[in-house]
Amino acid sequence: MSYFILQILPYVTMVVFTFGLLYRLGRWAGARIVHDITLSPFPQSNTQVLGIFGAELIFFRSLFSSDRALWVGAWLMHMALFAVIGGHLTGIYFLGKQFIYIGTSENLSEQLSALLGTTMGLIMFAGLLYLFYRRFAVAKVREVSTLSDYLHLVLLLSIVTVGNIMRLWEHDLGITYAPVKDYVTHLVMLMPLPMTHEVFTRPFFVLHLLFVQILLMIFPFSKLMHVFGMFAERWIINRVYKEPAPGLPNVDVQAARRAGLGLPSSEGGV
Amino acid sequence: MPKYKDMVQPVRATDEEMRHIHIDPVPDDEKCEKALQYLDEMRKKFRSFVLAMESCVKCGACAENCHTYLGTKDPNNIPTNRAELIRKIYKRYFTLEGRWFGKLVGAEDISLDIIEQWYSYFYQCSECRRCARACPFGIDTCEVTFVGRQILHWLGIVPKLHAHVGAAMERVGNHTNLPKPGIVDTLEFLSEEIMDEFGVEVPFPVDQPAEIMYIPSSADFLLNPYTLMGAGMFFTYIGASWTIPSTVTEAGNFGLLFDQMFTQRHNVTRLLDAAQKLGVKKIVWGECGHGWRAAKMYIPTLADRPVRWPITHLHDEIAYYIRTNQLKLDPAKNPKPVTLHDPCNYARACDLIENLRTVIRASVVDFREMTPNREWTFCCGGGSGILFDDPEMYQRRIQLSAKKAELVRATGVGANGDGILCAPCSICKAQLYPMVEEHKLGVEVKGLVDLLGRALVWK
Repeated sequence: MSYFILQILPYVTMVVFTFGLLYRLGRWAGARIVHDITLSPFPQSNTQVLGIFGAELIFFRSLFSSDRALWVGAWLMHMALFAVIGGHLTGIYFLGKQFIYIGTSENLSEQLSALLGTTMGLIMFAGLLYLFYRRFAVAKVREVSTLSDYLHLVLLLSIVTVGNIMRLWEHDLGITYAPVKDYVTHLVMLMPLPMTHEVFTRPFFVLHLLFVQILLMIFPFSKLMHVFGMFAERWIINRVYKEPAPGLPNVDVQAARRAGLGLPSSEGGV
Repeated sequence: MPKYKDMVQPVRATDEEMRHIHIDPVPDDEKCEKALQYLDEMRKKFRSFVLAMESCVKCGACAENCHTYLGTKDPNNIPTNRAELIRKIYKRYFTLEGRWFGKLVGAEDISLDIIEQWYSYFYQCSECRRCARACPFGIDTCEVTFVGRQILHWLGIVPKLHAHVGAAMERVGNHTNLPKPGIVDTLEFLSEEIMDEFGVEVPFPVDQPAEIMYIPSSADFLLNPYTLMGAGMFFTYIGASWTIPSTVTEAGNFGLLFDQMFTQRHNVTRLLDAAQKLGVKKIVWGECGHGWRAAKMYIPTLADRPVRWPITHLHDEIAYYIRTNQLKLDPAKNPKPVTLHDPCNYARACDLIENLRTVIRASVVDFREMTPNREWTFCCGGGSGILFDDPEMYQRRIQLSAKKAELVRATGVGANGDGILCAPCSICKAQLYPMVEEHKLGVEVKGLVDLLGRALVWK
C-alpha cells in the first residue's frame, strides 16, 4: 500500500492535476471578455493595475474592507500556507540548511527551519479551524455552504494535522529531510526506490502524501480553482480605462456671458 | 401572479407583449430544454459568467454587502446563493464534478420551479455590483443576473414594466411613450417655467443642426423637470450649440437590464443614427445611471461600426467648466443641507465619482457625505429598473431601500425635515421619491444638475 501511494499514485496524480487544470483553464480561455466591465475607480496605467493585483494578492484588500472577521482567518491561513509551501521546497532541497545563506550556522538554520515550520503549521491549523467553525456558526455562511465546502476543509485539516504531528513528535512519528529529498529526487528522475527505503516505514509520511494527492486530484474540479480564478477574474474587471477629454466643441463661455445669453432681451441680452 | 410558491415575482408580460419585443414565448413543456440550450450558449460566450460559476469559494463575504439580502434576509438573496440558482444547473449539466457527484457539490436537475426561482430572484437583484467590489476575487455576480435575465427573456419571461419600456423605446424612442409633439410641448413649457422661476430665456432646440447632442432621460420630461431645466440652463449659460434628438429622448437603455443582445444593440443603433443625421460633434449624456453605463461601457462593443462621436456625461462636462473657473455659481441659492447618493452604475461601473463632488460642492452650501459612499455606495433598491408597483413587489421595494434609508438618516440632513437627497439618476429618483416618504427621512429628492441650474449666476 505504501509503495502504491508513494511510487505509483504520484504519477497518476500529476496526470490528473495537469490535464484537469489545462482542461479547466482552456474552458475559461474559450469564453471571451465580451464587454468592458472594468470596476471603478478605473486604473489609469498598468502600474496601477499591478498595484491592485498586488494589494489583493498580498493583503486581500477587498476582503479587508468587506468582511473584517473573515479577513483575519483567511489572511492568516493563506499566508501560513504560502510559508509552508515555501518551507517544504527550501527545507527539503537544502536539508534545512537554507538559512546559512543569510549568515546562520548550519545548526541554527536547522533549528530555525523547524521552528518556522512548526509555527506556520500551527497558524494554518488554527486558521482552518476558524474557517471550519465559521461554516457552522455564522448563519450567512451556513446558508451558502454545501457538503463539499465542509469536505474541502476536512481534507485540508487532515493534511495539516498529520503534518503537524510529524513536526511536533519528529523523532517518533516524523521523518528527517534527507530521506524525503532522496525520495523526491528519485520520483522526479522516474527511478524506483528499494522497498526497504525509510520513507515506506513512516506511516504518517505516507498518510500525509496520500491526502495531498487527493487534494491535487480534486483541485481542477473544485473551488480550489479560485487560485487561478482570482487572476482570471481580475484580468477582466481591473483594466486601464482612459476617459475622453472633457470640453464641449466651439464653446466660449466668456463670450457667451459677455453677450448676456439667456438674459431676457429687455435687459440687453440677445 | 405576483407570488409563485411563496416567492415574490413581478407581474409578467403577456405573450402578446413579448411579441412586441420580438420574442415568441417558449411553451412550458419546452422551457427546460431551451433554458439549457441558452445557458450553454451563454457559458461559451461570457468568461465573466464562467468564472462566477467556477471559482467562487462560498466564503460569504458578499452576503452583508448586498442591500437586497440586508433588506429581505432571504438566503437566496445572498449574491453567491443567487448565483447558485444557476450554478447548480450549470454544475449538473456542464461540469464533470456535477455529473459524477451531483449531490455532494450541490448540483441539481433543471425544472420549471427553478426557472420560476430565477425569475423571482434575478429581478430582486439590482445589478449594483457591490458584491463584485466586496468579493476577494472580484467575482461579478451582476454578470450572472445578466445571463439569468437574458435566458428568461429568450424563454418569454420578462416583467411587464421592462417589456413595455422595450416596446416604447422601439416605437417612439423613449421609455414613456412620449411622441415628438409631446416632447416639443413639454420643452416649451419648461422654457416658460424657467422664465417664471429664474428669469432667464432658455430655449430647448429639438432636431436642430448643432455641435452637441444632449440625451436626456425621458423621466425628466415628466417626473424630474428640474433636471432637464438645469441641463438647458447650463447649455444656454455656456453658449453651447446643442440639440435634443426627437428620435432618442432617452438616456436609459433597458436592453442592458433584460436583453443585452437585440434590444440593447437596437437602441445603440438608433442613437448613432441620430448623431449621424444631425451631424453633431459630441454626445452628452443626461442623469441616468444604468443608461450611462450602457452608453459609456457598452457602445464601443455594440456599435458594430466606427463611433466618431466622443460620448461624455453632463457632469463630466460641468465639472470641467467648474474646475477651469468658467462658471459663476452662488451656492447660497441652495442653502438646505444636502447629501449625495452615489448611483451604483456611476460609482462602480463608470468612475463618475469625483466629478459629482466637484459639481455639488460648487453648487450648495452644506454638503454632507454619506458613509459608505463612492465605490462602496449602497444601491437605492430600485437599480436595474425593479420599480414594480403591484402591492407585493412594492413592499419588497421598501425592504430593498431600507439600507439606503438608514445611511441617509445617519447623515442628519433630514433632521429638520428640510434636507435634500441628491440622486443624479432617473431610476434612483423614481425609487427614492416614494421611499423617502415610506421611511420618513425628511428629505426631498433632487437631481444634481437641478442644484447647479439653481446656483448659476447669470449677470
